[in-house]
Amino acid sequence: MTIGTMPSTMANSASVRSSWHIVDATEQSLGRLAVKIAHVLMGKHKPIYTPHVDTGDFVVVTNVEKLSISAKKLDAGVYPRYTYHPGGYKEIPMRKVFDERPDRVLYEAVRRMMPKNAIGRRMLKKLKLYRGDKHPHSAQQPSPWAF
Amino acid sequence: MPRARNGAARHRKKVRILKAARGYRGARSKQYRTAKDAIFRAGVYAFRDRRARKGDFRSLWVTRLSAACEMRGIGYSRFIYGLKQASIIINRKMLSEIAIDDPAAFDAITEIAKANQAAAAA
Repeated sequence: MTIGTMPSTMANSASVRSSWHIVDATEQSLGRLAVKIAHVLMGKHKPIYTPHVDTGDFVVVTNVEKLSISAKKLDAGVYPRYTYHPGGYKEIPMRKVFDERPDRVLYEAVRRMMPKNAIGRRMLKKLKLYRGDKHPHSAQQPSPWAF
Repeated sequence: MPRARNGAARHRKKVRILKAARGYRGARSKQYRTAKDAIFRAGVYAFRDRRARKGDFRSLWVTRLSAACEMRGIGYSRFIYGLKQASIIINRKMLSEIAIDDPAAFDAITEIAKANQAAAAA
């Protein structure tokens, strides 16, 4: 910066105000919902967005088991796992994951959209996923999300 | 006559290089040969990134403006187009600062952009 140039405003831990949002995942499509969630977790919906500071908000998602995912995708999708033993590559079918842990499907989708670094992992912790309508965050007074 | 060598000058050079390489990982901060390469490379990155920084900041302002526009119901590209039609020449940096510090003023700017973008389209 040369002298006489005004620096761009940067958020810091003191100026960040993070609020809580709540979304009902019923009949939402997986990818389209995940994009919006990732955007808010990163803070890209605020004019003060600062890449090196976590300016994002908390997102509570209810009814994750009611996400709408096409049958084709449920059958075709797989989650790769590696056990770190030779020949230990495994694929878990998406249908199995969605039946057993529906929150895992949305979590993975959002995780893969977040920055792959320390701040990205920290921001991801602000995502709270629940099956059914109940969630323990009413004290934070999450504001419902309009689509 | 004894043979003259430049021992003192060479030592000073090595000290200068190793000092510049302080805090680098492993051998790159301890050994002259690797430290020399490391500071040369560091210089190359510094030169490139001083230029890249201009673009980095511009994209940050665009991201911020995009957020400020979306919450007022207009896309970034339409916003910029509207301002251009209205002959408003405020750079993206100052627009983004206005969006942060003076939301009311930014509301007004957005309204101008909306009006002019609509007028041009009609």
